[in-house]
Amino acid sequence: MENKTFGQKMDEFLMKDNTFILLFMGAAAAIFAGTYMYLNFNTGAFNDISIVAMLREGLDGGDYAAAAGFAAGFLIARILEGPLVGLLDIGGSLQTGVGIGIPALMLSMGFNLPFSNFFTALLTGAIIGLVISGIIMIIRKVVPDGVAVGGTSIMMGAGNATGRYLAPLIIVAACQYNVYTGIGAIVGSAIFYKWGKEITGGAILGAMIFGGIFL
Amino acid sequence: MLEIIIYSAIIGIIGGGCIAAGAARMFHAPEIQAMGAFRTLGELNACNGDPIAHFSFGLGFFFSAAASTVAAGALSQDVMHRIVPNWSAAILLVKNPKPEETLQNPRKMMLAGAVVGGVLLVFLNTMARLIPEKLSLIASEVLTPATGWLLNPVMPAIFWLAAIDAGKVTGLWGTILGGVSALITGNAVPGIVLGILIGKSAEENGYKSKIVQVLIAIVVVMFIAIAYFRGFFGNF
Repeated sequence: MENKTFGQKMDEFLMKDNTFILLFMGAAAAIFAGTYMYLNFNTGAFNDISIVAMLREGLDGGDYAAAAGFAAGFLIARILEGPLVGLLDIGGSLQTGVGIGIPALMLSMGFNLPFSNFFTALLTGAIIGLVISGIIMIIRKVVPDGVAVGGTSIMMGAGNATGRYLAPLIIVAACQYNVYTGIGAIVGSAIFYKWGKEITGGAILGAMIFGGIFL
Repeated sequence: MLEIIIYSAIIGIIGGGCIAAGAARMFHAPEIQAMGAFRTLGELNACNGDPIAHFSFGLGFFFSAAASTVAAGALSQDVMHRIVPNWSAAILLVKNPKPEETLQNPRKMMLAGAVVGGVLLVFLNTMARLIPEKLSLIASEVLTPATGWLLNPVMPAIFWLAAIDAGKVTGLWGTILGGVSALITGNAVPGIVLGILIGKSAEENGYKSKIVQVLIAIVVVMFIAIAYFRGFFGNF
């Protein structure tokens, strides 16, 4: 018993149910700090363009309702679902909830302290992680089996469908902006489509490359 | 620039390590609480034990993540969902081809995930900063209208139709809360998302269930609070 190596102790520790709290805190701290990076350096938000755009809308226009409300829906759903199935979805809970929704909520209330520097952001993220994972572990222990929160698959389906709409919208926007970006977006998306890659990336890269050369 | 490199490394090491350990725990759920996604679990299983499969699967998403980072500063959800778990698995499986001792071991995945996360984040974030200002201006000029249309009215329409197609109860909740949300916040999506949540839960558990009652209470309080703070009641 006393002859365990450090690695074995670590293995045991990481296989304990409650260690989830620590792992979740770390992940939440990183993702919240990622949003801090996005606010200060315009890069590093852990989410897709379409969802980050909601936060952008708040930053530019001061209206955070869409970001906060949308993300709160996913966060609540995942917190209720995660402990019941034993697998928490990091997309809805962490990346959208902690990364977009909670920052949007804080900024809409004028609570800027967490974003004053990198380390307050990390710390705030860890505290948020502690609270959420605490709730999750309580639900896991209290709620009886067989009770399920429904609708997450519908929300996921609609969320994934949203991403698909972005590519055609980008091509249309590129065509309206300028003839060169338009041609670039068309060429880029056609190539990416042929390759079987995400068309969105091809449309943006094509518009940027053609625009960069000819504008 | 140094700031970005250091911060990105810290974020990547902490986040990548924790997410990869959470992903390894997926193979031991529901006995212990894991985090990740069902689709990630399925994808990890699909590449079972082959480091090349794991690596190339992650690589495909790496390119789209890089494009989205350069264009809008959005790393995409795939960084944590797919690239970190799959590349960590690939690194471990090269040395030891047994998934039970590598991919499914939270400690090893944590170490590999921290390395992958740190390198990946530094790379993506510095690359986004290195592209010329003219190019990022073009990207934002093209992306701003596109994402604006997406937020309103494309997303409300998609979510609304999804709610309606999910049955009468869900459709009704989605329609009412979506409409209320459009009135109060200007965007219907938050309301429809919550409507789907309440409607489906009510359908599965009945209105007597505690979860449904708690959900309805949270949503009502939330909308009243938002309406109050946005001065909605002054419109009458």
